[in-house]
Amino acid sequence: MCFKNLPIEFDAQGNASLKPGVANPYSYTETPAPTPIEDDPERMRELFARNGAVRRVDFDPVTRVAGALAFHTVVDLENRQVMETASMATLFRGYEIILKGRDPRDAIFISSRACGVCGGVHATASALACEMAFGVKPPPMGVVARNLLLSTEYLYDHPIHLSLLAGPDFSEAAVRETNPEIWERARNTKTQGAAAHGYELMSDLMTDLTPLTGKLYLEGLYYTRLAREAYVLIGGKYPHPQTVVPGGVSTTIDASDLNEIMLRVVKYFDYGRKTAAIWDDLAEFFYEVNPKYRDIGTRPANMIEPGQWDDPYAYDATYENCDAWGRERWAPPGVIVDGKLVTTSLQMLNAGVEEFVEHAFYDEWTGNGDEYYRHKTDPAGNPLSPWHPWNKETIPKPQATSWKDKYSWSTAPRWDRMAMETGAYSRIWAAAQTGPDAFRDSPYIHSTGNSIQINLPKAELPNTPIEWKIPETWGAFERNRARAYCILYTAAIAYDNLQIAYNLLRKGGPDARMSTPYEMPKDHRIGVGLWGAGRGYLTHHLEMDKGVIENYQILTPSTWMASPKDPFGNPGPYEEAVLATPLLENYEKPEDFKGIDVLRAIRSFDPCMPCTTHMHMDGGRTVSREIVSCACGGDVETHDHH
Amino acid sequence: MRVLVCGVGYRFLRDNALGVYITDTLAPQASNGVEFEDLGYHPVGFTQNLNERPDYDRIVFVGAVSRGREPGTVTTYRYDHVLPGEKEIQERVGDSVTGSISLDNLIVVSEAFKALPDDVWVIEVEPVDETWGEGFSAEVESRLPEITEAVWILTRP
Repeated sequence: MCFKNLPIEFDAQGNASLKPGVANPYSYTETPAPTPIEDDPERMRELFARNGAVRRVDFDPVTRVAGALAFHTVVDLENRQVMETASMATLFRGYEIILKGRDPRDAIFISSRACGVCGGVHATASALACEMAFGVKPPPMGVVARNLLLSTEYLYDHPIHLSLLAGPDFSEAAVRETNPEIWERARNTKTQGAAAHGYELMSDLMTDLTPLTGKLYLEGLYYTRLAREAYVLIGGKYPHPQTVVPGGVSTTIDASDLNEIMLRVVKYFDYGRKTAAIWDDLAEFFYEVNPKYRDIGTRPANMIEPGQWDDPYAYDATYENCDAWGRERWAPPGVIVDGKLVTTSLQMLNAGVEEFVEHAFYDEWTGNGDEYYRHKTDPAGNPLSPWHPWNKETIPKPQATSWKDKYSWSTAPRWDRMAMETGAYSRIWAAAQTGPDAFRDSPYIHSTGNSIQINLPKAELPNTPIEWKIPETWGAFERNRARAYCILYTAAIAYDNLQIAYNLLRKGGPDARMSTPYEMPKDHRIGVGLWGAGRGYLTHHLEMDKGVIENYQILTPSTWMASPKDPFGNPGPYEEAVLATPLLENYEKPEDFKGIDVLRAIRSFDPCMPCTTHMHMDGGRTVSREIVSCACGGDVETHDHH
Repeated sequence: MRVLVCGVGYRFLRDNALGVYITDTLAPQASNGVEFEDLGYHPVGFTQNLNERPDYDRIVFVGAVSRGREPGTVTTYRYDHVLPGEKEIQERVGDSVTGSISLDNLIVVSEAFKALPDDVWVIEVEPVDETWGEGFSAEVESRLPEITEAVWILTRP
C-alpha cells in the first residue's frame, strides 16, 4: 500500500508483514556519494577553463536560524546555478546519551532543553512516550490543557520565523541590496491584501519588514510575548514547562486562567488574517516579477507529519489504537509523497522511519541489516527496520569533515527510504488532503480535500474567512505562505479547545481532572511520543527496564531536513532544495554575491539548529559578524568547520 | 534605589551556571530595593519585562563568558552602552528568540530596545569547563567569594 521501497507488504485486511523469502530484507547496497568538485582537480581545472565564475561559497554558520547549521555550496555565478551542496549540523546534541540510565520522567524535563523554542513540545513528546510505556491515559481536561499549551507554543514559533528570521529576507533593506530593480518595481506595485494588512504598496510592506525598526518586525516581537504569557498560565514557565507529566498536566486550571488565555488567543484572529495576506502578497509579487522565484528552494512535495492536538476523548495513549486516535487530531498525521497523501496511519508512519549514518559523525550500530537487532516488530506486529529509532543506538564518532564521507552531526532520516520535509506546511497540507469525510468536526476548520478553510468569529476587525490551498508549485515562498496561514489555523484550534475546557470545567467530575495517577512500572516497556513541533515532525522513542531508560531516541524536524546524503545517493531536503535554486540575485561581479536566494531557500524550512555567520568565499573574502560566544566552540576569527 | 542583579547562564553546564548560582544563593539575603533574577531565559523576553516594570537605577549582570583570558579570571566593568552595527543586533535578536542564552546577547538586545538604565555593571568570570553537568571547576569555585563580594558592593548606592 503505502511503501514502494521498504520490504513490507500488506494483506487484504491491510496488515503489514515483511515480504517473504528475502534473507536480509532491509539490507542495501550503498551508492557512493559523488566526488566533491574540489576533490577532483581535473574537473576543477575544466570548470575554471570553461567558466571563471565557479566559486565555493560556504554559509558557516547560517544566521537567523535556530542553532548551529553550516551550509556548503559550489555555485556557478555565470550560469546562476548551484552545482554542489552539503548541509552540516555542527553541534552534537547527545541527549540520547545523557538520558540513559535515568528515570524516564526525567526525560520530560531534560529533553525539553534540546530546544529554546520548542522545549514544550519536547516535554510533551517525552510525556507521551512515558505514558504509552506506563499504560496511563490522561483525563480529557489533561489532554485539552496540553492542546492549549502546544497551540500557544506554535503561536510563539510562527511569528518568530515569519517576522524575525525569514521576514528580513524580503525587507526593503535586503531587496534594495540584492535586487534594486525589484525594489523599484515594489514602489509602483499595489498590494492585493490591503484590506487585511493595510499596506497599499508592496514597498511599504517591505519597509515594515525591516529588522529592528519595521512595524511588522516589532509586531512579531509583541506577538511572541503574548503567546508566552498564555503558555505560562498552564506551563508555569517557557520554553521549558514545569507541569507536563505522564498522564496529563500537574497544575489546576480555573475559569480565570482560561479567560486570560482566551484574551490572548483572540488577538491572533486579526493577526493571523493579516499575516496570511502579507505572505500572499509577497509570494504573488515575486512570482509576478519573475516566475523563476517559484523555483527558489523547490523540491518534490515529500513530507512527513505525525500530527498534534489530541481529541480529549479519543486519545488513550496506546500504540495499538494510535491510528484511530491519531486521525482524530486537529492536525491529523500524514505522509505525503509527490504531493499526495499516502497514509494517515501513525503506525505506518512510524514503521517507515529509518535513520542512516553513512555521512554523519556516528558509528553504525547494526551490520547492514543482517545482525541481531532488538525490535523486529512494533507493539502492533508491524515490521521494523534495524535502522528504526527503537533499534537505533547513538554512537558518536567525531572526525574530520569530508563532503564525500562524513560531514554532519545530523543523521539521515528517511521514510520509505525517501528524504522528507516537515513543518507547519506539512501539517496544513495533510489536514487539507484528509478531506471533509475524515477530518474531525470543528466549527472553525474545514478540510475540503485540497484546501483548509478557517472561519473564526470577528475580533477587532471584520471576520474574513481564509482558505489555504495546496499550491501548484512547491518552494520557499509556499513554505512561508503556508506557515503564515498556520497562525490562524493554530488560533482556531486553541479557540476550539478553550471552549471544550470551559465545558469540562462547568461539568466537573472525573473528565475535568488534570491528570491520572499511575504507578511506575519496573518491567521492560517501550513507548513513543508522536507529536509534531511547531516546526514539524517530532518523535521521542523510549525503551525502559527496571524503572530506568535503556534507550531514548529523539527525532526532530531539522534532523529530517538538515540531513546529509543517504546511503542511496539522495541528498537531504536542504541540499536538494538549494541545488534546485536559481540564483536570481542581481550581481555584476562575483564579489558582490550575497547568496540571498540560497538563504531564502534554507530559511524557508525554519531550521532549528543560534550562532553567527561567516560566509567564506574563494579569494579570502569573508562576510562575517564578530562573535563572542559561539556554541561550536571555535575561535572567533579562525572559526571554520572545514 | 532599585537594583536588579541578573544571573545569566545555564544551570547544567558547569561553570556556565555561575550567574544562576549567584542569583539562587544571594536572593534569600536580598534587602529592600535589591532584586535577584535568574536570566536563564531569552533577552527579548527580558527586554519586554524590563519595559513593563518601574525603572531600575542600576542593573548588574553576572555570568561566565569565554573570552580567552586566564581560567577563572574575574572581570568587573561598567557597560559603555556602545552598540554593534544593526546587522549584528538583528542577528542577536534572532539568536535570542530561538533560545540562545548569552551575556552579550542579553546586553546588546536589551540596550538596542532601550530597556537598560544608564548605570549598568557586568561581572564576568572566564570559564574553564562548560560541559554538561553540575558543579564548578576548581578555578571558578575558588573565585566565588570574590564574585559574591563584587555583587554585594554593586548593590550599594
